[in-house]
Amino acid sequence: MILGYLGAGALLAGVVMGGFSALLSFWAGWRENDVFIQVGRRGFYAAAAMTVIAALLLEVALLTHDFSLAYVVEHTDLSTPTPLVAAGFYGGQEGSLLYWTLVLGVLGAASLVASARLGARISAYATGILAAILSFFLFVLAVVASPFDLLSVTPPDGLGLNPVLRDGGMLIHPPVVLAGFASFAIPFSFACAALLAGRADAAWIAHTRRFALLAWSLQTAGLLLGMWWAYHVLGWGGYWGWDPVENVALMPWLATTAYLHSSQVQERRGRLRAWNFGLVILAFLLVVFGTFIVRSGVVPSVHTFAISAIGPWFFAFFFACVVFSGGLLALRGAGLGVASGQAPAVSREGAFLLQNLLLIGVVAVVLWGTVLPLVSGLLGTQRVVGAPYYERATGPLFAAILALMAIGPLLPWRHAGRPTLRALRWPAATALLVLAGLFVAGVRSVPALLAIPLAASAGATVVTEYGRAALKNPAIILRRRRRYGAYLAHLGLVVVVVGIGASHFGQQEKDVTLQPGEGVTVSGYTLTYTGSQQRLLSDHTEFIAGMRFGDQTLEPSRATYATLGGQALTHVAISTTSVADVYVVLAGTNDDGSASFRVFVNPLVTWIWAGGAVVILGVVLGNVGERSAAPELARRRIPITLPA
Amino acid sequence: MMQALKWAIPAVIVAGCVGYLIYSASGGATEYYVTVSQLQTQAPSGDVRVAGVVQNDVQKSGGLHVTFTEKDGTASMPVEYAGTLPDIFRPGITVVAEGRLGSDGVFHARTLLAKCPSRFSTQPYTQ
Repeated sequence: MILGYLGAGALLAGVVMGGFSALLSFWAGWRENDVFIQVGRRGFYAAAAMTVIAALLLEVALLTHDFSLAYVVEHTDLSTPTPLVAAGFYGGQEGSLLYWTLVLGVLGAASLVASARLGARISAYATGILAAILSFFLFVLAVVASPFDLLSVTPPDGLGLNPVLRDGGMLIHPPVVLAGFASFAIPFSFACAALLAGRADAAWIAHTRRFALLAWSLQTAGLLLGMWWAYHVLGWGGYWGWDPVENVALMPWLATTAYLHSSQVQERRGRLRAWNFGLVILAFLLVVFGTFIVRSGVVPSVHTFAISAIGPWFFAFFFACVVFSGGLLALRGAGLGVASGQAPAVSREGAFLLQNLLLIGVVAVVLWGTVLPLVSGLLGTQRVVGAPYYERATGPLFAAILALMAIGPLLPWRHAGRPTLRALRWPAATALLVLAGLFVAGVRSVPALLAIPLAASAGATVVTEYGRAALKNPAIILRRRRRYGAYLAHLGLVVVVVGIGASHFGQQEKDVTLQPGEGVTVSGYTLTYTGSQQRLLSDHTEFIAGMRFGDQTLEPSRATYATLGGQALTHVAISTTSVADVYVVLAGTNDDGSASFRVFVNPLVTWIWAGGAVVILGVVLGNVGERSAAPELARRRIPITLPA
Repeated sequence: MMQALKWAIPAVIVAGCVGYLIYSASGGATEYYVTVSQLQTQAPSGDVRVAGVVQNDVQKSGGLHVTFTEKDGTASMPVEYAGTLPDIFRPGITVVAEGRLGSDGVFHARTLLAKCPSRFSTQPYTQ
């Protein structure tokens, strides 16, 4: 009871302090009043501290089973294991919003502590924008969707959590992906602040890039963990379904990927300034828009957050963000100017530009597919697109991006000549070799014959670059680790692409009903059903089937929860061989002693997880301890002056 | 001016390609998303997705084959499906069946999606 009052109080105090910080920071920044800029920043820290207090109170309420709070009742019960009770914090609509706000407050404070070098004005405006965003979230939490709502009667036990979510993945995937979402607000705030202040220099690029990298890395990890969880827990044999929830996480990732590449053009050549501002802003707008459509229930999705009243609030917030940042970009963007000098199409900067356009093209395809139900619903009967739409429309774009990954790193800045053509012989030869190999191996799917050789040639480019450096001077790999870290990330991505290509185009599946002793063979792998056993546990009944596979026994199982109206929960059994996952789902047991299975053989799925880890490793290794993210610009002291 | 043109040309070309890809890919892949009553009154051609609540008459036969009735506020229809059922499939939950309505009035589902609970609770607590 008391926790509920304290929590609601902390949220309200946070709204007041955040609002105060926002107004004061904008005013002080405009007047360049150092004292009040300082006060405004401390106001943000105070609002962030209130968010931390509210979060701690909710966690305490969950762990002490304070069933006077509706949120605690709806998301946990006394039998829930403690780690999952703690995870209940971000398991529901209100709590996940509070978690999001917490990340925004903490990372926002960290970004402001380090912002003094950027100049008083940018720092003050960034504080104001971050404080405004934080206040919006705290306001929604305090007024519209509060996790601290009290029940008039305290029930003896809670409702518990859905069995589907009773899994270790629940402890890691949601917090990472939500933190990723929240962190896109920081580059956005600094980009808008620089536009407002009319000034941005090398220190600003480094600062914005650092937080964009953080957001990107968290989002990469969140996407991969989500795929891993879907694959291992949900039992449909795949890892990506083009569901709106997945799409809205992918789009800001794509936009930020584009930014991380094009920002180099700004660092090295002083070009694409307005475009870079636009990408950072776009990533955050996609986050807000995605949050709106996923959490308000306006598009049909297999994930349903409880439909609550936050929809209109988020729509208004999205609208305000579009007007504010779009207006800034329109007013200031034109004055950003383009550096003079030659810019031939075939050059590193040309490759970056094309890659950016293609990535934004993918965003457009995914966005259209995601909002189609909304748009068509307004015009008539609601229509939806399935996976084939996304695959057909994004496939050629992804193939072109892979080709650029093979060519782009070998192109010099400014212009390309004969040496470049010579350098391209390795990736080209690799692509042809792999193509021939796949053809001989009997692969006839055109998309697979396109994707895998292109990925291989992109890998060959990375190997070429590392080889060149190793022959010339191996120390350069450490000294210029940002560049070589990025190549390592490319290599990881190549491995991911091969894994996706192989498992997507090579997946085999079979539905079978077997009597004990009978077997089934799927793409050369033979499994024999040995019989099933039933286990009665306190709240559910579990059927475990034995499937002999070589010298091991796989045990897919199916639990039935009588208390939850007979809801079932399947446990997939996966055996990973060197080239494929054998993936067995127990679909059901029958009265005559037989059991029904769905068996998948998924080639090279493990490459996706391994490659994903390499991507993150490359980005982290490449950027840890980088003193200046914009060495060229800092050395040459090129200021980027915007019209005031 | 020449500079601006140089950046604009590839942008226009890529935008054109993306537009064409969206147009051509949505050609065969768009499906109507309707309720049971809309399906029965409008009868759109091709594959559709139909959302409705599973009724109490779930019949399983021969391993993976299942028939049940799907109902929205007013209308209901029999559904026939063969394959793995979603975990949370049971009477009372909302499912989205993807397939087509046969001339016999039975909906032949190709895939069956259940609304995934992205939250802990099974239902909101009501006093």
